[in-house]
Amino acid sequence: MFPFVDGFHWTVGHIVFLTAFGLVAATMAVTMFFVVQRVLDNFRKNRTAAIQWHSDFHDLGEQDRRCRHELTGCAARRECHNSFECGHCADHPRFAQLEPATSAVSLDAFGLDFPSDRLYHRGHTWVRVEEDGTMTIGLDDLGRRLLGTPDRVELPKPGDSLTTNGAAWYAFRNDSPVRVLSPVDGMVIETGGPDQDWYLKVRPTRANPNLAHLLRGAEVSAWLRRELERLQIMVAPAGAGPALADGGSLMEDLPQAQPDANWDAVYGKMFLAP
Amino acid sequence: MTGTLAKPNAIESAEKQWIVRGHERCSTGKFMAWLSPWIGLLLLGLYATYLCLRFGLGETHLDNRFGFGLWIFLDLAVIALGAGAFFSGFLLYILKWKEIKAVINSAVVLGFLCYSGAVAVLAVDVGQPLRSWFTFWHPNTHSMLTEVTFCITCYLIVLSIEYLPILLKNRKFKQVPSFLVFEWELHKLMPVFAGIGVFLSFFHQGSLGGLFGVMRGRPFAFREGFSIWPTTFFLFVLSAAAVGPSFIILTTKLVEKITGKRLVKEDIYRTLAKTTGVLLTIYVALKCTDTLMWLNSTSVRAGVAPWEFYEFRPFGHATLFTEVVIFGMIPALLLLSRRLRERPGLITLGAALACLGVVFNRFVMTIQTLALPTLSFDEFMLYLPNWVEYAVFGGVIAYAVIVYSLSYRYLNLFPQEQDLQLNPKEVGNVPVR
Repeated sequence: MFPFVDGFHWTVGHIVFLTAFGLVAATMAVTMFFVVQRVLDNFRKNRTAAIQWHSDFHDLGEQDRRCRHELTGCAARRECHNSFECGHCADHPRFAQLEPATSAVSLDAFGLDFPSDRLYHRGHTWVRVEEDGTMTIGLDDLGRRLLGTPDRVELPKPGDSLTTNGAAWYAFRNDSPVRVLSPVDGMVIETGGPDQDWYLKVRPTRANPNLAHLLRGAEVSAWLRRELERLQIMVAPAGAGPALADGGSLMEDLPQAQPDANWDAVYGKMFLAP
Repeated sequence: MTGTLAKPNAIESAEKQWIVRGHERCSTGKFMAWLSPWIGLLLLGLYATYLCLRFGLGETHLDNRFGFGLWIFLDLAVIALGAGAFFSGFLLYILKWKEIKAVINSAVVLGFLCYSGAVAVLAVDVGQPLRSWFTFWHPNTHSMLTEVTFCITCYLIVLSIEYLPILLKNRKFKQVPSFLVFEWELHKLMPVFAGIGVFLSFFHQGSLGGLFGVMRGRPFAFREGFSIWPTTFFLFVLSAAAVGPSFIILTTKLVEKITGKRLVKEDIYRTLAKTTGVLLTIYVALKCTDTLMWLNSTSVRAGVAPWEFYEFRPFGHATLFTEVVIFGMIPALLLLSRRLRERPGLITLGAALACLGVVFNRFVMTIQTLALPTLSFDEFMLYLPNWVEYAVFGGVIAYAVIVYSLSYRYLNLFPQEQDLQLNPKEVGNVPVR
């Protein structure tokens, strides 16, 4: 059939057949070439952490990707398509104007300790902007109780860089690794740990760091309510029917209090690292 | 609440690191026990394959008259059932049916297994695997099989590329930065491969049907059509597209039954069932029209009495009735009716009948076509496969079960599984105010 085979002569059938398959083969080859080129480009630009976050966000369940403005009731039903990067969302400024003023609302934390002087990341970390411009990062009270007493914690070294939604540090509990996401970009200048109130102190990469994606004020309460509902559903014993909470506060070390729950799954969901 | 969970041993702890986060899987020992008989069957199949490749097709009951036997029937059937991969890709990436995301990974794995299994069986059937490149170097452009060969080879490459991102999403693999980035970039360009898959599938599914339709020497199969394509070309494409979603329903329900877990939401089943229902209804209408045209026009002009073909036992009139009514009209009705689709049991029944229908149609096209006499001195031939053919057939089934089981265990075939596991009552909109 091919020109280089003895006895070959061109017909319309040959032209149509070879053109069709030539186009298919060329499209596949060019697409794969394009993929490889993009991969190399990503490595050159050091985008691995960002890609890991986008990939993980893509794998989160639909209910884990709800927009912060849905949680507060400003939007009726809204799924986030910006990987919780509200700075990139065209609608965020409009919705943000509808939210109640931060200072006017007291923070109802359902018995948990959520000080209102901090900004909260949806992966259960908080950020406090210090007077000298540095930022302190810690695990919020729900995240702390979810991990309980970790078996091991791996913190970055001073001088290491952090990327928003990239790994800030790793904690391990009952064979389950937990990648705790960084709420901000910056360079680590000091490390704390589970025994202290904070984990990392960082110097922001930019003079005016983008903090638009962090939760504040009334939306923390709304988000926390949803988080507690999700947690309740996830750790409920198999076969248990729906139940109304009858008060009380969360225990300090939840894995110890509820060892039968699938904590690996819970960590994936609550710390946004499926 | 206190728990007394048994502490997993070292092997299970290590294996857990390969299992998708939050997925609950049976113990390593239980999984190995499940795989053991399939591995045994696979080994038997490999031995039978060795016999065929070493000593030739004389080891089978195939001969010059019955060149297309169990294996070609298997090939046609699995290629039709594997159409779920291309059709799901078409619905998700081209028509943007987002709900198909819930089953696309499983559909791709099934498609890959169906096509790789078919190619493996073809390699045994054709023989001389070291000369397999001849088909590309010296192709017969007058044969529809040439087009099928090119399409299936290309599509198997496409399916392998589509399988790759699913594989690289494994919990361990995605910790490797280059795998993670490659998977991400490949995934973004998946619509291109889905488009190529649709193009290739359309032509090779059609050409497999056209192959029978152009056989003037086999009046039972011969059909007229449009231009160079007989009606069987279009019927094969349509029937494959129709049962693809049904095969996904059936396999997912089977996995749910075996594992005791819910894997996809009920509305996904209903969407897939409706898709099959609509396409199957169109197919049955066209199939009936085609059969009537063949009975009253094509056969008459070819000088044969078509009803005589149904005099030979075991292929009686019941064959036609079974194919068109039991495996065609009934599942079309079950899956088309919204009221009937509300009952999960009927969806499963409808999907099973639809899949059996396409398998039966391919059986009729290969086995019945070759069994019937075509000349006045010809005789009706009965073909029964021998153990070697069954063993190769079983080996391919075992290969598919093993690879699918491994994929289900270590890969995220059903993205809704975890949510349904954590909250079996299908997490809806949790009221926030």
